[in-house]
Amino acid sequence: MKTIITPTFLTTTAVASAIALCASTAQAEPKTNMLHQWAQGSEAAAIAKLGEMYEARGGTWEQTAISGHTSNTLAKLRSDVVSGNAPAAVQLKGPEIAEWNQTGRTANLDDVAEAQGWDAVVAPELLSVMKPTGSWVAAPMNIHRVNWLYSSRKILDDLGLEVPKTWDEFNTACEKIQAAGKICIAHGAADWSDTTTFDSVVYGMDLDLYRKAFQEADTDAMRSQGMIDAFAQLRKMVGYMDDGINGRSWEQSMAMTMDHEAAFFLMGDWTVASANAAGYEENVDYLCTQTPVDWGGNGFILNADSVVFFEQKDPDYIEGQKLLAETIMSPEFQVTFNVAKGSIPSRTDVDLSEGGFTQCQQQGLVDLKASVAEDTLVRSMAHNMTVLQKFRGAMMEVITEYVADDSITPEDAANLLADAVEVQQ
Amino acid sequence: MSESTTSKRSAMQWSIDHLPQIVLVPTVLTMFMYVVVFSLWTIWISVSTSTILPDPSFGGIGEYVALWKSKRWTVAYQNLFVFGALYVTGALSIGTLLAILIDQRVRFEALWRTVFLYPLAISFIVTGTVWRWIFHPQTGVELALHDLGWLSARFDWITDRDLAIYVVVITGIWHASGFAMALILAGLRAVDGDLVKAAQIDGASMARTYRKVILPTIWPIFLAVAVVLLQFAIKTYDLVVALTQGGPGVATTVPAIVVYDLMFQRGQIAQGAAAAVMILVALALILIPYSVYQNLRSRHEERSHG
Amino acid sequence: MGEAETRIEFDPLSTGSFRKRVTSKTIVYALLIVFSIYYLAPLAILLMNSMRPLEEIVRGGFIAIPSSLSFQYWFEAWGTFCIAGTCDGVSRFFQNSLMMAVPATIISTVLGLINGYVLSKWRFKGADFLFGLITLGVFLPAQMTLLPWAYVLGSVGLSNTITGLVLVHTIQGLSFTTLFCRNYFLAIPDDLIKAARIDGAGFWRIFRRIVLPLSPPIIIVTVIWQFTGIWNEFLFGTVFTSGANQPITSALVAFSGSGTGVRAYNVEAAAVIMAALPPLVIYIVGGKYFVRGLTQGAVK
Repeated sequence: MKTIITPTFLTTTAVASAIALCASTAQAEPKTNMLHQWAQGSEAAAIAKLGEMYEARGGTWEQTAISGHTSNTLAKLRSDVVSGNAPAAVQLKGPEIAEWNQTGRTANLDDVAEAQGWDAVVAPELLSVMKPTGSWVAAPMNIHRVNWLYSSRKILDDLGLEVPKTWDEFNTACEKIQAAGKICIAHGAADWSDTTTFDSVVYGMDLDLYRKAFQEADTDAMRSQGMIDAFAQLRKMVGYMDDGINGRSWEQSMAMTMDHEAAFFLMGDWTVASANAAGYEENVDYLCTQTPVDWGGNGFILNADSVVFFEQKDPDYIEGQKLLAETIMSPEFQVTFNVAKGSIPSRTDVDLSEGGFTQCQQQGLVDLKASVAEDTLVRSMAHNMTVLQKFRGAMMEVITEYVADDSITPEDAANLLADAVEVQQ
Repeated sequence: MSESTTSKRSAMQWSIDHLPQIVLVPTVLTMFMYVVVFSLWTIWISVSTSTILPDPSFGGIGEYVALWKSKRWTVAYQNLFVFGALYVTGALSIGTLLAILIDQRVRFEALWRTVFLYPLAISFIVTGTVWRWIFHPQTGVELALHDLGWLSARFDWITDRDLAIYVVVITGIWHASGFAMALILAGLRAVDGDLVKAAQIDGASMARTYRKVILPTIWPIFLAVAVVLLQFAIKTYDLVVALTQGGPGVATTVPAIVVYDLMFQRGQIAQGAAAAVMILVALALILIPYSVYQNLRSRHEERSHG
Repeated sequence: MGEAETRIEFDPLSTGSFRKRVTSKTIVYALLIVFSIYYLAPLAILLMNSMRPLEEIVRGGFIAIPSSLSFQYWFEAWGTFCIAGTCDGVSRFFQNSLMMAVPATIISTVLGLINGYVLSKWRFKGADFLFGLITLGVFLPAQMTLLPWAYVLGSVGLSNTITGLVLVHTIQGLSFTTLFCRNYFLAIPDDLIKAARIDGAGFWRIFRRIVLPLSPPIIIVTVIWQFTGIWNEFLFGTVFTSGANQPITSALVAFSGSGTGVRAYNVEAAAVIMAALPPLVIYIVGGKYFVRGLTQGAVK
């Protein structure tokens, strides 16, 4: 048996191993596939910008945009995880980040976070959401404010009314507006929009009640007189809406307000993006203020979109995740994305006077800082930032049924709310 | 050597003799997996502690209890029966009526048949979307009537908690009655001409002939159509989502929506599986009597044909 | 079997006086026309709105006489509209759907024919039980089978591929196709088969020479049913593909999804019609055979 170990053999083997070694330590090609639900409209355009920036930084961008209800995106996520192909990046938010973190399949971003100094620039209320067990698992894309009140400039001017600051002032104004033959509140009934309105009502009437009932899911708080009063106020407000709330989209409600058919519209700041796209002007067609609060001060109900990263085996995807996280947190992306979406950056060190932010958006940041200083900042239950989906879903069912069925009394509603949550505990 | 050839030959013979069964094996295996294994898995998960991901540890029947305590589920299950009954009888009745009409030796039969049958080709998502445009008071019929001058006209069923389910029924019937029509028309054509002539000679009117001779003959087809329509009704999801999203409130929610929402939106896979099992129970309630009936009927036929 | 159907020779409307005949016929046609309006209305509305400018739709509602008609939205919908993550219109999703629906339809039909042949003509112990098992597949709700399929596809390495999706649709379709074909083949006289066997024909020869030539009506029924079902299916198509591989139903849902921005009803209507064309054409062209195939006992 001749030996095959010849000098030529040794050299070629050595060279081959050297090349292989170099290749494995060579820079991986960062790539990603982001799973999200923003399949159309300006949100899709905003994600497209993320893609452009990602590619400009050397990454290969791919996305899976799942249309329809969030449940479709989540169906795909669960199905992918179950089949062993957890996606590299997913649009997830709120308590779900903690839930997925518990499954142990999320990736750890602490290196990137430390290198880029995220802890210092991300709003404090968001930190606990992005770092559920102390390590960074998600990158926040923006901060939405949910408790905006959009008012029709024309109707207020015509009737000589000021923008109401408390709920009593609001009710009084509505009485006057209805007497003058206009619709007071523009609304499209759906579980999330009914609950968005109710978020603002509870928050504005009793800040502690909001924290107990909607952030901690305390069922005693739900049965309290404060909650009954809040439901009573909601019933009044349904009386100030017109008959067509079922089946109307939120954009149509927005248009009603800015076309001066209705006086008030309660919705989050994504309204601004839509309004701009449709050609409405701030301060000319509409005014933006916070929804009424009875306790005097600056209120801010927060909603934030974020991207969660799942552990990957492919080194290209791993590099891609780091690059994507960096891109998301970069000031350039934060400016471009948030101008398009109507929200404000998740970084508090971005200057909003440049880049095209509207006055309402800039006001939002001012209010955010004030709210943090006054300790009135809360996260939104309606937009899935506080309690688990099973509680939130149960609560939204009760609230939306309450809006649709005026035979349900406030006392019943408060108890139904608590019962629905208890059943799921 | 001769022993192995004999055994080889008998092995080949065995394969040839059993070729039918062998050919069936791939299908049976995959069907076993699909029907039996998947169902068992779902039943197991419904008593597990699964939340956002399937988790095989045992949890008890708590999820069934929670499910039946939720108003949305009881409304959905109720809607299943209401919608199911109306949808099946509605589609059957209209389908029969259309079949009888076409059967009257009308001209352009192909045209009528296509007009009534084409909705089956349209996906539920599209069906729901377009009918929603039509039904919504601010974009559809009510608006058109207002624009025509009839300002007090109202057609806002879709926004009414009690009437919205009927909107779903009307849309469902639009979609499926063509299928009923096609089958019943086929059945009408297959009725024995002699029987009908005999009734005619006896002086029976048209209506009487239909009632006494024709309809009883095609009764099995009614049943078959009813079963197919019923399983459409039970699996209804896309139609309701596109048409009303289960609203107003939860007035038009159906079980399939609850299953999907629990499993995927709310991360309560165990409860979602429990809801799915309840759907299977509803299906069983219909299928078991039907297959027993089929069995009895075929045995009766075999006996009477000797 | 075959073309022989017993047509009713009696025409109920030709009995009675001339006036009665005319009134009866008028009533029949009138009813047919009224019903046709109910059935055609959505299609007409879709067509009309696919050609109207958006402001007109938003202001005037969906049921209105259009002031102008234009086909530009059709071109937009096909090739340039930004939807579901790309800006190529719905053309690529259309192709994806084709790539998924055609193979799945063909395979499940072929297998259904063979299975139906076996279960109707070759009696062996347990045949009826197996048929019952296969038929049960028709009744399983899709939402329930989603996660188990994810496991299965993951373990054979086919997740997020069109092949995996074809596999899912084929297996789920097997129940229907077997059901249809078996009931249809029951009507082939057993004597034919017996005679062929006595002549020495084997399993496959009988299939090829006797059963297949009699199959065209049921093949058409099965193909129509399967193709339509798979083409119009949303859930599995969306969950088991990713990126730009999504089927056209995903794009359609994207049009109606809520988000910021105006909903382009006219482009949506054009896209909807384009998406509905393949099944629609198949139904219009094959409708006659569909009825004939169903006549000959597809559903018993």
